[in-house]
Amino acid sequence: MKIWLLSDYDHRKHLAFKSMLARYSAAFPDAGAEFSVKSRRSMWESLFAHLRDPKRNPLADIIEIPQNWTELFSRLGLFADLALKVEALERRRFPGFILTELCRHDEARAFSAPWWLEAPALFARPRALEGVCAEPWAELASWEGFRAALDRLPGGNKKRGIRALAAPNSSGAVCPADVLPRVWGRRGGLFSDDFNRATFTREETAGGIEDWLELAVSGKIELFSPDRFENGPMPVEQCAFVISSRRLPRQCRPGAAARGRAGQRGAKAGPGRRSPGELKVLPYPGCSAGGGLALVYNLAVSASTEDLSGAAAFVGWALEPENLGPFTGSFGVFPCVKAAFEECLQDEGEEETYRKIFSAPELMPNIMAYPTAELLLERALWNLSLKIARRDYDREDLTRELIMAQGEADYLLSLY
Amino acid sequence: MKKTAEKLYGAAAGQAFDGGRDAFLQAALQAVSARFVLDGASFYEFDEKNGLLRLRLRQASGVAFEHEDNIRPSPGSAAERALESMQTAAASSPGGKFLYFPFMFDTSDPSGGKNAVTCTGLIRLERSPRRRRFSASEAAKADAFLRSFLRDYYKVEFFSLTRKYDKNVSAITELTEVFATALRVRDSFRRILAGIQTYFGFDRVRLYLIDEKNHKLKGELSADIRGQIKSISYEEIPLEAGAHRFADIVLGRSSGAFMERYKDCVLYMPLAVQGVTIGLLIVDNLLSQQRIEPQELAMLKSFGGQIALAVDNARLFEKVEELSLYDELTKLPLRRYFNQRFQEEFYRAERFKQPLALLWADVDHFKEVNDTYGHQIGDVALKEVGRIILGNLRKIDFPCRYGGDEIVILLPQATGAEALRLAQRLSEELSELRIPVPFSKTRELKVSLSIGVSTFPQDASTLETMLEKADDALYWVKSHGRGKIALYSDVAEDAKKTAAGGTNDAGQK
Repeated sequence: MKIWLLSDYDHRKHLAFKSMLARYSAAFPDAGAEFSVKSRRSMWESLFAHLRDPKRNPLADIIEIPQNWTELFSRLGLFADLALKVEALERRRFPGFILTELCRHDEARAFSAPWWLEAPALFARPRALEGVCAEPWAELASWEGFRAALDRLPGGNKKRGIRALAAPNSSGAVCPADVLPRVWGRRGGLFSDDFNRATFTREETAGGIEDWLELAVSGKIELFSPDRFENGPMPVEQCAFVISSRRLPRQCRPGAAARGRAGQRGAKAGPGRRSPGELKVLPYPGCSAGGGLALVYNLAVSASTEDLSGAAAFVGWALEPENLGPFTGSFGVFPCVKAAFEECLQDEGEEETYRKIFSAPELMPNIMAYPTAELLLERALWNLSLKIARRDYDREDLTRELIMAQGEADYLLSLY
Repeated sequence: MKKTAEKLYGAAAGQAFDGGRDAFLQAALQAVSARFVLDGASFYEFDEKNGLLRLRLRQASGVAFEHEDNIRPSPGSAAERALESMQTAAASSPGGKFLYFPFMFDTSDPSGGKNAVTCTGLIRLERSPRRRRFSASEAAKADAFLRSFLRDYYKVEFFSLTRKYDKNVSAITELTEVFATALRVRDSFRRILAGIQTYFGFDRVRLYLIDEKNHKLKGELSADIRGQIKSISYEEIPLEAGAHRFADIVLGRSSGAFMERYKDCVLYMPLAVQGVTIGLLIVDNLLSQQRIEPQELAMLKSFGGQIALAVDNARLFEKVEELSLYDELTKLPLRRYFNQRFQEEFYRAERFKQPLALLWADVDHFKEVNDTYGHQIGDVALKEVGRIILGNLRKIDFPCRYGGDEIVILLPQATGAEALRLAQRLSEELSELRIPVPFSKTRELKVSLSIGVSTFPQDASTLETMLEKADDALYWVKSHGRGKIALYSDVAEDAKKTAAGGTNDAGQK
């Protein structure tokens, strides 16, 4: 059995999956399983390559996908219906907000199984905000407040490796995953609510994209930064703000310092004491009342697999809370299965904030044209990133790129 | 040399040649990681235009994976030095100990050019901060190892080109056959589109043909990436400049601006035969947003003439077939075609015990119309009768111009009563018809039909007798004043009564 996994900037995901697979092989010695890790682009190309020439480009039996690829590839006949094959796919086992986009047109069918999810949030280091924000948690609830706080922070000290803002999942250029949470925060989107037209240029959408680009233009985030390449990943405790969809490492969670000191060195610990590395999680700026974007990743089984039962059995096994929990925990994401999700929230130091974040999250629409629209946006953002990096960017460039992307997305909607 | 290479990196590379570029490079990262006990190894391509190092592949903690990251190396950094000097450079930072190995190898031009394109970049060997740095001798060995490994990259290109060549040969052979043997329109269009999808696998292929009579570009068929074909006959584009970009392309008035924008994933190919444009073939990769390989575009363009010829042949074949089976004036099938269908329908009715009705109609006083107003007016009358008949039939009904002004209509699964209802409808619609005759006193001509109806199994048990009985019923109408409808069973009943001295009342009006 072959499995294709999406690559992740956090390499621990690949290692966690490797050990998960080792556990599966130990439990089911007859089920030989191997996996390979593909970038999002390569996964997309491999799925289309299979459609073009199935014999030369066979699919893996199990494929990890962003949840909103499900409609497209199931309609193209690539994925098997798992509704009756995977017991764990029983609908009440998933939080309601995940089910809304599982299968838009047919509740009885499920062409992929929700596996893990993440939600972009703002992480703030209280120590760094002392003297910068009078009421940090109220100010940071809005994008404007966050932006103003960022401006008031002393500039980063590159020599000491300290930054005002870090976005650890950046791949160098601005990408849709960076801008879409802000677009959602402004109640924008790539398509109108009835999915009849593209809305890239709508004020809420373009404004959301512009908000993020402005961070790059003003130098708050560095595009194509060689930092990680030359110095390795920046420890999150060296940043005043981190925008990330991953949960904090334990040592950065509130109270960890007190726990650490009390436990390790027997020092006096109290709730008022904070370590310099301690970070507090807040809802994504502008989404303090919930309604932000959540990113969900699913497992799909190839319709052309020779071992549908075996593949479905693996998916069922991977969704069991005792298998899913350790996997998602190892790289800071949440499991999609309700029981494990609840357990994860309770285990989280900032349960209350996460409950707020997950009170009414929205998923990217699972419609046929959406993944392509994301590619069109990605292309536009790439062009703009290059311009920003060359200091050649103008607001008109954004308008022009979005008009072009919208035109193509509209044309696509007329076809599919 | 072979022995040296094997000694250096074993048999793994040999197996990776056939797996494509990524498999080969993955093997290189695995091999170098194992040999120099690395914590990680990454493959970066250098995007010279934008000055970016673009991460493609990584190997870390025993897991090989594809990943994307785009970095602009700091000025004066080891990475930049390595790229500039093409010499291995070592570096140490809080992130770890690194050795940058610059490479440069030739690949075939992805945009289809004849010259090789040089690919440059870095392979970064990585050790965690706690581990020792790369010594000068290690750097030299790693350099020799990777140089030796990448020297064989041309074999990957060779395998890849061989595969492309094989595919092209198959495409040329098989598509040529498809285009040469496609005859019937629907079937041939399907085969052409399916053939294109089999060998090129575009997201979509669409075929539009010019309808000269109506001055339109009409959609014919569309094939998706899975090869599923559907009709797009609902798409009709006025063939006027500015009406639609497809029309502009066909008319040769396209500015080319939008074609330029989509040139990587859409091809608009006008189909022309002997300099005359007959349609438009459009292939696109809009859904996947994947670039159509220039070689594929060139090859498809080279097939353009054959595709156009195949499409034109199929249309000519259909035209010839239509001329041999259909009456050009009334657009009704001819007797030869009818006889064949009649046999099939009669057999079906017999086998499934279903009713079958036959209408035999005759235009009243047609000879006089021709003699009085001329054949031109007679032709108009027949044409109008044909139009009204075709407009009133079900899909399964089969009309025929049996000869002269005689028209026969086969009504599968219809009883005598149903046949009479149709006949009544035809008579009524015809009674409202006025054919302008400017040079006559009345200035118009009225047309009526005499219609005889026979049914199976009530009136006849064979094909011939069914025709005979319908003719008998028609004869009865003609001998009783014309412009009426008669069912054979009523005529027969009437004949019995007449023989017995009763009144005649078989005809309907």
